Amino acid sequence: MFTPAETSAILLSLKVALAAALASLPPGIALGWLLARRGFPGKALLDALVHLPLVLPPVVVGYALLAWLGRNGAAGRFLEEHFGIGFAFHWTGAALASAIMGFPLMVRAIRLAIESVDRRLEQAAATLGAGPLRVFLTITLPLAWPGVVAGTALAFAKALGEFGATITFVSSIPGQTQTLSTALYGLMQVPGGEAGIWRLALVAVAISLLALLASEWLVRRQRRGGRD
Amino acid sequence: MGSPVARMARRIAALALAALLAACAPDGGPGPATDGVPPLTVFAAASLKDALDEAAGAYAARSGQPVRVSYAASSALARQIAQRAPADVFVSADRDWMDWLQERGLVDPATRADVCGNALVLVAPRETPTGTVALAPGADLRPLFGERGRLALALASAVPAGRYARAAFESLGMWDGLAPRVAEAENVRAALLLVARGEAPLGVVYASDARAEPRVKVLATFPPDTHPEIVYPAARVAASTHPAAADFVAWLRSDAAGDIFRRHGFIR
Amino acid sequence: MLEIDIELRRGRFQRHVRIVEDARVLALTGPSGAGKTSVLYAIAGLLRPVSGRIAIDGRVLFDSQRRIDLPTHRRRIGYVFQDARLFPHRSVRANLLYGRHGRRGGEAPFGLDAVVALLGIGHLLDRRPEGLSGGEAQRVAIGRALLSQPAILLFDEPLSSLDRARREELIPWLQRVRDEVKLPMVYVSHTEDDVRRLAHAVHRLD
Repeated sequence: MFTPAETSAILLSLKVALAAALASLPPGIALGWLLARRGFPGKALLDALVHLPLVLPPVVVGYALLAWLGRNGAAGRFLEEHFGIGFAFHWTGAALASAIMGFPLMVRAIRLAIESVDRRLEQAAATLGAGPLRVFLTITLPLAWPGVVAGTALAFAKALGEFGATITFVSSIPGQTQTLSTALYGLMQVPGGEAGIWRLALVAVAISLLALLASEWLVRRQRRGGRD
Repeated sequence: MGSPVARMARRIAALALAALLAACAPDGGPGPATDGVPPLTVFAAASLKDALDEAAGAYAARSGQPVRVSYAASSALARQIAQRAPADVFVSADRDWMDWLQERGLVDPATRADVCGNALVLVAPRETPTGTVALAPGADLRPLFGERGRLALALASAVPAGRYARAAFESLGMWDGLAPRVAEAENVRAALLLVARGEAPLGVVYASDARAEPRVKVLATFPPDTHPEIVYPAARVAASTHPAAADFVAWLRSDAAGDIFRRHGFIR
Repeated sequence: MLEIDIELRRGRFQRHVRIVEDARVLALTGPSGAGKTSVLYAIAGLLRPVSGRIAIDGRVLFDSQRRIDLPTHRRRIGYVFQDARLFPHRSVRANLLYGRHGRRGGEAPFGLDAVVALLGIGHLLDRRPEGLSGGEAQRVAIGRALLSQPAILLFDEPLSSLDRARREELIPWLQRVRDEVKLPMVYVSHTEDDVRRLAHAVHRLD
């Protein structure tokens, strides 16, 4: 049904999108909590920075990553020399680009969810002897869970469809960075590529639907099971 | 009648409607309308930008006919023309897309002509110590890569520049050795950028692109017989009623236009 | 022994409160807006006084001069809120046992079985908070506060969100807690009736 190149692209896209969504979770939760629960000088600026990838053209984000984390970039050279890690021309770079593009969506969803958690419940937990971390893990996070799941699903879906930032930063390397979106773009360039485009587009839709169903199931499971 | 809220809502709705209508109104275009002469709309491949801007300007200056050019990938432009986009002339980066339109009767074959050609070159960042490289069958480029270097190309299965590069390497018997090193960029200008920034030690781009980028240097030119001929065909769009369309295409074949193309690194 | 001498400010509300009380069960009364809940919040560490000192049985919880301000989770106060505030995502049993963690070693004077028996909530253990009546929820809240092994119990108008019948139902339970649990208690209410039936001493804020 699919050529080996297409299969490779589909699997790589899944890997990249999953990595992007999961890696974004810790900073996403941290920033969502910070913006929801704390006031501090410069908060509006931080909020704006978080939303920047949403309003910038993806190619600009990709170019910024290339300039900074590319093999010749200031940070990129440092990372390669001292830690041997490189994002350039590597699937981790694709994941990073996708993660950045989807980050604002995740933070928004998580922030809204945390804001809607009744602070009075957090107060009650504190009176019962729970320190701030325990309150967060046992009260805030579980009650904000639907938002966390929604944010992750959004980040995953955005990563799946990401194209401009990824291809500008890490190009398209079969098996490494040639994602579903890149394959689709390539097919657009050639006359008669329509059949392939429909096939791949259907795959993308199917994956997104599965992600949506998975997130629904995760929310329902938590609501049903609870913890006893 | 109605509350202040309702009145405000009506005012906003009226404004929105007015804005919508204004947006739908036919516009005269950004080009200078000389005595109300409608501009000639040209759809052209992105790699022609600098050269064609100058050529269009020259044409407008000598004939008084304003020309405005839209640049994009040939594939996108051809598809738009197939959807009846209001273009008068189409200039493609390869024969395939022009053929595709011609098969569908969307361009006027009588006006079709090749306006220029291009060469394929191997480039490297300007600071590279290597001088020139001989591109002959069996040549080995691997020493130039270093440990982790990549060869930057436009998408090798899709974009013309990438396809030509792959064809050239294949005919030289070098493709299998190079394939694992390839990094495919969105288009040939993006591949050029990778080399210019030193992200990739080698790249394959058009001669015209290398000419436009001071941060790269040409290591070798691919022999023309190693790849399909790189030509840029132009034609009048069949649905166009603009009187100057065919004339413009013909003018692109003139010596004056040829000088402009040559100066930008194209072949005439 | 409750020692409170604080300056409270909350928005436009500001007052000085001084309470020195030996009685084990103290009622705090006064009209709405007098600051009764604010005093409880200050004892619990949910509201920081502008200045002053709060000590329970010699243990200093807050002293602005000596820069002492214990965080809420270390004050060992059991707070029963006016709106119960049970955790909706956990069962009644899980709510009750929430406060068991974090208590440093030693024997737990209040055990689950004893508290459940004291408050008559055994049949509710596997239920979810959302299905409970107002009175039931309050009893679970009391049990939860007790099970966190507090040094003092604070009741913030526990009856005011209940109708008359539920109130009458709950008062005997509160009396039981008062009699069988030998903890100091501060009981806030604006109704004279339950104050009279529950407290040993009354401090009026107006």
